[in-house]
Amino acid sequence: MKPLALVLAVVFFVVAILYWTGIVLPHHVKHGILAVVLGLLCLVWFRFQSASPATR
Amino acid sequence: MTFVQAMLLAVLQGVSELFPISSLGHTVLVPALLHWHVDEGAESFLAFVVALHLGTALALLVFYRNDWIAIVRGLVRSIARGRIEKDPDERTAWLLVAGTIPVGILGVIFQTPVKALFASPIPVSIFLFLNGFVMLLGEWLRRRQHARDADTYRRLPDLAAKDGVLIGVVQSLALLPGISRSGSAIVAGLFRDLHHDDAARYSFLLATPVILAASILELPTLLEPSAHDVLVQSVVGGLLAAVTAYASVAFLTRWFRHNDLAPFAWYCVAAGAISFVLFATKVIA
Repeated sequence: MKPLALVLAVVFFVVAILYWTGIVLPHHVKHGILAVVLGLLCLVWFRFQSASPATR
Repeated sequence: MTFVQAMLLAVLQGVSELFPISSLGHTVLVPALLHWHVDEGAESFLAFVVALHLGTALALLVFYRNDWIAIVRGLVRSIARGRIEKDPDERTAWLLVAGTIPVGILGVIFQTPVKALFASPIPVSIFLFLNGFVMLLGEWLRRRQHARDADTYRRLPDLAAKDGVLIGVVQSLALLPGISRSGSAIVAGLFRDLHHDDAARYSFLLATPVILAASILELPTLLEPSAHDVLVQSVVGGLLAAVTAYASVAFLTRWFRHNDLAPFAWYCVAAGAISFVLFATKVIA
């Protein structure tokens, strides 16, 4: 799942740039911000996958 | 829009945003019922509404300030550790993240088209009636379930992430003018076995980032030249909305410790039905 989280994060960041620049996708500031937030959440997901498991 | 109308709308916003009676529905119905000539599409009116929402969001932030400090700390702690522990603040923080994702996605995609389609008095009256009906149904099902099982409630941090997502999705129904954000979230919380006070707390906490983000994204509207015409109304209205929102959330958190949604539900059923008859029969044009 770690690669998936990273790939999704990159995809969301690219989508955000496409929304903000208006290239390929129509210009939408809010859609771009949403894509950045989702990208950040994917990075957090990646972080959770990377951390060592809980010690008992 | 006169100054008095603006102040009445500010009070209405502060109260109806948090009471489960739909603020969006009331901002459509009340001006229409009172024959106020408010151009809700005008840029100056949008700037005024942004100020009211900002006031409401700040009131919620101030009221739950200690909770938010603990929640943000929990969030940062869990990310730094790379794991969510059983700590209630950490779990609440991630439940809020889980609930906010569907609200954010659905809001960004559907807010404008849904508002354009349904923000007129007759559809709003129908949705307000439905809002009341769903709250009554939720309370009835809840009573039936608890008559069968023992009175076992889950605490907010005990919810699973999927419960948070579900409540967030249900809260998104409030994109429909007439459906209440807090009402829908509280009913969904009751279905996930929360007590009324925990369901209301989650609903208000969930509403805070949504209202705040929506206001911040629209902040440039306040800097437009058209907003200068309503500068005083926006500043005073925002403060008034903040005060009434603070009083509303203080009242509601006490109310839901021992009471349910029924009075608000009956109000929505009655207000929706009466408004529908008045507008459908063209008694009020």
